[in-house]
Order: sequence, then structure tokens, then C-alpha cells
Amino acid sequence: MSAATMFTRLYPPAVRERWGAEIGREVASSGIRSWPDTLVGAGRLWLHPSDWPESAPGQTRRVLAVAMFTVVAATALLLRAAGPSTLTADPSRPLTSLWLGLILVGAGLGAPVPLLRWAAWRRLAGDAVGVLAAPAVAVLAMILIANSGLVEHPTGAVRAALFGWYWVTLGFTAVRLCTFVACLARTARMPGRARLRGALLVIGAGLVLAAGQTALTVTWSAPDAGLVGPALVLGLLGAATIGAGQDLRGRRR
Amino acid sequence: MHSNDAQMLVLTVLADGPRHGYTINAAIEDLTGRKLGPGSLYGALARLEARGLIRPADDVSQSPSQPQERHRTMRITDTGRATLRAELEQMARVSQAGLRALGIAPA
Repeated sequence: MSAATMFTRLYPPAVRERWGAEIGREVASSGIRSWPDTLVGAGRLWLHPSDWPESAPGQTRRVLAVAMFTVVAATALLLRAAGPSTLTADPSRPLTSLWLGLILVGAGLGAPVPLLRWAAWRRLAGDAVGVLAAPAVAVLAMILIANSGLVEHPTGAVRAALFGWYWVTLGFTAVRLCTFVACLARTARMPGRARLRGALLVIGAGLVLAAGQTALTVTWSAPDAGLVGPALVLGLLGAATIGAGQDLRGRRR
Repeated sequence: MHSNDAQMLVLTVLADGPRHGYTINAAIEDLTGRKLGPGSLYGALARLEARGLIRPADDVSQSPSQPQERHRTMRITDTGRATLRAELEQMARVSQAGLRALGIAPA
């Protein structure tokens, strides 16, 4: 894949549809010196969904809903990789799990709602089988191997292969779940602008809270340089999500 | 370059007539001595279109030999002209005040 194609793919779909070919040509002709501006331009457009042109009614809301679930999936992977123990849900201290509650409420608010029609549910079932069957099989195989006793204490290449398979499976599952949300968004009833804005703000608040909770722990009770990165990424994801939600206040889409 | 500056430049060159992305950037280079980066240029075009200050021209030029070489020609709208005029008048007032403060007679 050329750099021009890769950079063009970073833009929101509606912008890509209109200007993708021209962006690609500009990047290809200007070379490496145009890369920073192209990257910043893409990031700025993602933060301002009210600037996206619409090729079809509701396109902005559909793309935002999928982007929102992508943020949630990325957060889940990040927490699995660098899981700060301070963010582990603890029933005895419910306040420390408030961040998770906010993210779940936000995801529920912004989720596309399937229509109450037989044909819609049949299509949804077809999409679910088509998109989610492969990751389900991969996860099932992983669980079976882990519990079979075949590999007790793997070492060397076997350990590396199992470790790689684990992360590829998690990543693949996250991508397929987002793909399923995209399929669902094509036929389901999408949340309105106000509800989607609320969902983005609530998820953003949850992420910022998680970042703050991790940063506080790092600073005061359990200094751990390994948690600085995850706290920063959570904070950035939260700020970006809140920024996009705030921007929806501007114009009707 | 700041995104508002990029939008002003795009509006200014489109006030002269419809153009597509490449020729907009060439006109900006003639005007300022440097081109906008792809992110600034197409970000400005998307924002201006979303605000109704520019719109696609009726014809979409396309090379018959290379269908993928499609250009979106854009033109300024009446709202865009009014916005550009208000911005330029404000800039002119600021410019005149600055030149007076420096003891230079505005041209």
C-alpha cells in the first residue's frame, strides 16, 4: 500500500469519498514533507464531525457510532495490555468502577437499535454469523487449548506463538465487533444527534476519569512508570471523544 | 498554517472563479508564495462546504482517458462572498490601524 493511499484512508469516510483521490495525488506529488500536515488535517477532521459533508442522510451519525465503538474496543485492548490494577472493577469499592459504568452507559446510549421487523432481524443474524463466526471460533479454540492441559508451561517458540495468537485473536475480535456495528448501523435505527452527543460525552468522561484515576495512583500511592503511557492514552482518547461530542452541538446532522 | 487562514485563502481564490483542489492550491501559491499542505487544503474545503460557503460547480471534470482522475470543481456561494467580504473588510481595518500605529501611511 502506498503512503498516499494509507494517508487517504485516515480521513473520515465522507471526506475520503469527496476528496480522497485529490488528497492521494497531493500526498504522492508533495512527498514526505506533506505527511505531517496530512496527518494533522485528518485528526482535526475526526474531531469536528460537523465539518463532514454527507453523501447520504445520517452518514455522519453512522460513522460516529462506529468510531465510538472503535474507541471502546481500543480502550479494552489497552487495558488488557497494560491493565492498571487500579481500574479493576471492585464490588467493595464501587466508586473506583465509575469510569467503567460511564463507558457502558455511553455505549448503550450510542448503540444502533435494530428495527422490530422480521426481515431486519434475519439480516442482522446473517451479518452476525458472517462477521462474528471467525473470531468466535478463534476465541473458542484459544479457550479449549488453554483448558485442555495440552500446553502446561510453554517455553520458547511455543510460548511466543501462543502469546502472538492470543493478541492476534483479541485484535481480530475487536476489529470484527466494530465491523458488526458498522453492518448494524446500515439497517438499524441510529441514535439522534443529541443522544449520540450525550453518548460521546459520557464515554469521554469515563475515559478521562480512568486516566485521572490511573494518574493519581501513579503519583501518590503506587509509583509505576509503566502506567504513565496508558494514563496518557486514556486521557487523549477521552479528550478526543469529548471534543467530537462537543462539536456535534454546532450543526444538525 | 491556521485552519481559518486556509479557509480565507481558499475563499479568496474561489472568489475569482470556480476551481478544483489542485488549481486552488496553485492560485494560493501564486498569492502567498507557498502551497497549503493536503490536510490544510482539503480540511478547509470540507469545512467551507459544510458551512455552505462553497459548493460543487455543476460540472465534475473528468479525464476521459483516466476516469479515476476525477476533480471536484468548487465555486463560492453568495453566503461565502458575503463572509469573505466581511472578513476582508475587518482585516483591512486592522491593517490600516496597524500601519497608522507604525507611522506608515496606508496605501
